[in-house]
Amino acid sequence: MTDAKGRPGTGERHPLSREMRAAGLSKSYGATVALEHADIALKAGEVHALLGENGAGKSTLVRIFTGAVIPDRGEMQLHGEPYAPRSILEARRREVATAFQELSLVPNLSVAQNFLLPALAGAGSPLISRRHVLARGADILARHGLGRIDPAACVGDLPLAERQRIEIARAIENAGRVLILDEPTASLAETDWLFEQIAKARARGVAILYISHRLAEVREICTSATVLRNGRSIGTVGLGSASDGDIFEMMVGHRVEHARRPARVAGAARAPRLAAEDLAGHGLRGVSLQLGEGEILGVAALEGQGQRGLFRLLAGLQTPTGGVIRVDGRAAAYRSPRAALRCGSGISYLPEERKTEGILAGLSAATNVVLPFLPRVGRAGFIGRHDEAKAAQPSADEVALNPRYLAFAIGDLSGGNQQKALMARTLATGARTLLLFDPTRGVDVGTKESIYAAIRAFAERGGSVLFYSSELPEIVQLADRCLVLYGGQVFRELEGDDIAEQKLVAAMIGHGSRAATGHVPAPAAPAHAHAAAESAR
Amino acid sequence: MSDIATTGASPPAASVTRSGPAPRHRLWRLTHGAGLIFGLYVLLYALYAYQQPRALDAYAIAALVNNTAPLALAAAGQTLVVLSRGFDLSIAGVISLTNVVLAVYPLDGPGGALVSLLVCLAIGGVVGAVNGWLVAYLRLQSIAATLATMIICQGIALVILNAPGGAVSDWIADELTARLGSVVPVSGLVVATVVGLWLLVRRSDYGVALYAIGADEPAAALSGVNVRRTRFITFVGAGMLYGLAGLMLSAQTATGNPNSGTPLLLLSFAAVALGGTSLSGGRGGLFASVMGAATLTLLQKVLFSSGVSSFYTGLFQGVVLIVAVVFSGLLSRIGERK
Repeated sequence: MTDAKGRPGTGERHPLSREMRAAGLSKSYGATVALEHADIALKAGEVHALLGENGAGKSTLVRIFTGAVIPDRGEMQLHGEPYAPRSILEARRREVATAFQELSLVPNLSVAQNFLLPALAGAGSPLISRRHVLARGADILARHGLGRIDPAACVGDLPLAERQRIEIARAIENAGRVLILDEPTASLAETDWLFEQIAKARARGVAILYISHRLAEVREICTSATVLRNGRSIGTVGLGSASDGDIFEMMVGHRVEHARRPARVAGAARAPRLAAEDLAGHGLRGVSLQLGEGEILGVAALEGQGQRGLFRLLAGLQTPTGGVIRVDGRAAAYRSPRAALRCGSGISYLPEERKTEGILAGLSAATNVVLPFLPRVGRAGFIGRHDEAKAAQPSADEVALNPRYLAFAIGDLSGGNQQKALMARTLATGARTLLLFDPTRGVDVGTKESIYAAIRAFAERGGSVLFYSSELPEIVQLADRCLVLYGGQVFRELEGDDIAEQKLVAAMIGHGSRAATGHVPAPAAPAHAHAAAESAR
Repeated sequence: MSDIATTGASPPAASVTRSGPAPRHRLWRLTHGAGLIFGLYVLLYALYAYQQPRALDAYAIAALVNNTAPLALAAAGQTLVVLSRGFDLSIAGVISLTNVVLAVYPLDGPGGALVSLLVCLAIGGVVGAVNGWLVAYLRLQSIAATLATMIICQGIALVILNAPGGAVSDWIADELTARLGSVVPVSGLVVATVVGLWLLVRRSDYGVALYAIGADEPAAALSGVNVRRTRFITFVGAGMLYGLAGLMLSAQTATGNPNSGTPLLLLSFAAVALGGTSLSGGRGGLFASVMGAATLTLLQKVLFSSGVSSFYTGLFQGVVLIVAVVFSGLLSRIGERK
């Protein structure tokens, strides 16, 4: 055990010691404690879940395991030998590999090059043989059921879901002992492929750490779970014996109540605030919808069915090639989000990509919130030191964003708090119509509840909300009405108690007859769906 | 679930229908990067030959290549740094410094020239190592770090030679501007050697790492690329190329000037941009920058032979630069739509 020489492959692989153990890990950055005290043990051939809210320290723990971050205290053991990687390559040599949530693929290189980074040349020659690299890449792709991907394709040209699969395949390829999957389903609409690969890795005796916010998924594949809260590991539970409520309680510290929104009066009586007629372009093939006052309209769809285009058209980021958008009953033609915000009662958009389209990382959370109406904040054009925080306060309260965070640079906040700040910005604009694209993507349970509450409160006050979600329970919980998009068209419209997961799934895969008028779209081949997703981006 | 159809039934045999962008036509690729700038050069040369029938003489070609070589080598070095998502201002300092060293301490004969070459490479390499250390290990911004080293080098150059003067050794001034077999210009061979080396480097692990860190440094780091070492090597290699540029410039002017590198500073960026290398890193190539430098130099000649006052040269160079960048942007947008 104390043999410090420990090299992979040498040493006895005693069945009992085939595990990765970490005890008392901690890491701080200056005054910020990212991880206070974490204990975890991963057994070979087992899938272990790591649960916790955003900011609980999951990412730090993953980075420590991968060698990207060196812990201040604590120790780790791998197969009975001390394990303290100081670089990603060292972790890889010990057969520990990670599929990162933010994807660690280099966009301007080919798929095969990404698989083989950083050593493409192979032994014996300083020069890279393109043919050799492609052959090895194709081999790796084929072994992980991704034979349809061209190893010579540039990663940046591939749809997000394929990139995530490549990231996962690369991690599996390098993980002989421990595989860490950080939010592996964030961009995957289906889990069949992933679970198949996980089963194969398990059969080889790889210990797998699985991080996900989707509890249903975790229950399906993991046997036990460790919960982190505020940088401390709260405990490890067997998933067979713990209820969802127990787990949420461990994560949040208190019980979370799940309640469906009380049924509301049918939308027909209300005046439509936002209406679209036969919208086309950017992946849409004639979409009509009406959004009334005080209504929450959900959009459900598989990846790349035109939902991205729909939101970007309505938000004014792109212009439709056909069709009409009406705001407050009047035809509107705005060409920018700024114009959309000023059009009629106003339309405010919460974009999908938090990091690239949402936050301004260097500025404070308060500045990020008040940005759309900055001129109104200042006095005579000048903005005082506390003006921004004061102006941001009411909407920060609405999403339960701790006022302490308003002064912080938003880039330093956890993903959940960033999302809360963006939601606060969307609300603070004063627009009466909100377009929310996957408003809870990759955030924790507590943040989700705060965002749901803010959306409901907004609708109670007569605001209109159009939201897309990749998580069906969210649509079931929130929506008064739900449109299912398929192949760039509204495939079905569900209302009230009809909004149930089974019905949604059936409609999302184009099952059953179409409710709306028009011809039934041919089942879109995946290549087409991806192309649509790509062009809509 | 969007690909139930394929994940459900995708035996390796089904790999015929691969996803991803369709491979573009080979001819289409000529419109990108080096192809585009090469075409522009040929066009401009045709215009030059039309104005000056003697432009096709071996002598005229050699003179043009001699004029091109310093800027081409400087732009080649700058390209390495730009590909790694950085800027290198020390280019002006290194070229000035090597120039005054060669003019104040001339070493005669082929042996002396070889020593001079090594001295130039050493000066560039040391300055590059300092840049690399500041940028890669101390994490200074590349503009700030290389601005400092540029000022230091310019200062040393002034200490060595405080006014234009001195004489570069005859062997260097004669032989490096001569023609081999009275056809092939030596300076052209030097540039060709650098391009040839680049084609090898590009196929090495370092070459791939260079493009990777330029496009996405965090992703490259998480993929196991040694970002610091790659960046350090890049600055050292770039510095040595500036040293070589200084040698070729000295061979041409045959005299020393403590400010000789300054005009090449901004022109090197212009050549890089004209060659289609993205100033935000990760895209482009060294040969395209060399062609960009050649185009800028040729443009000067064409304007001169058309009788346009040399005061307007800068104006035309700027306009060509803007037009070329806009044009290549348009072409690549059309390419994406295809």
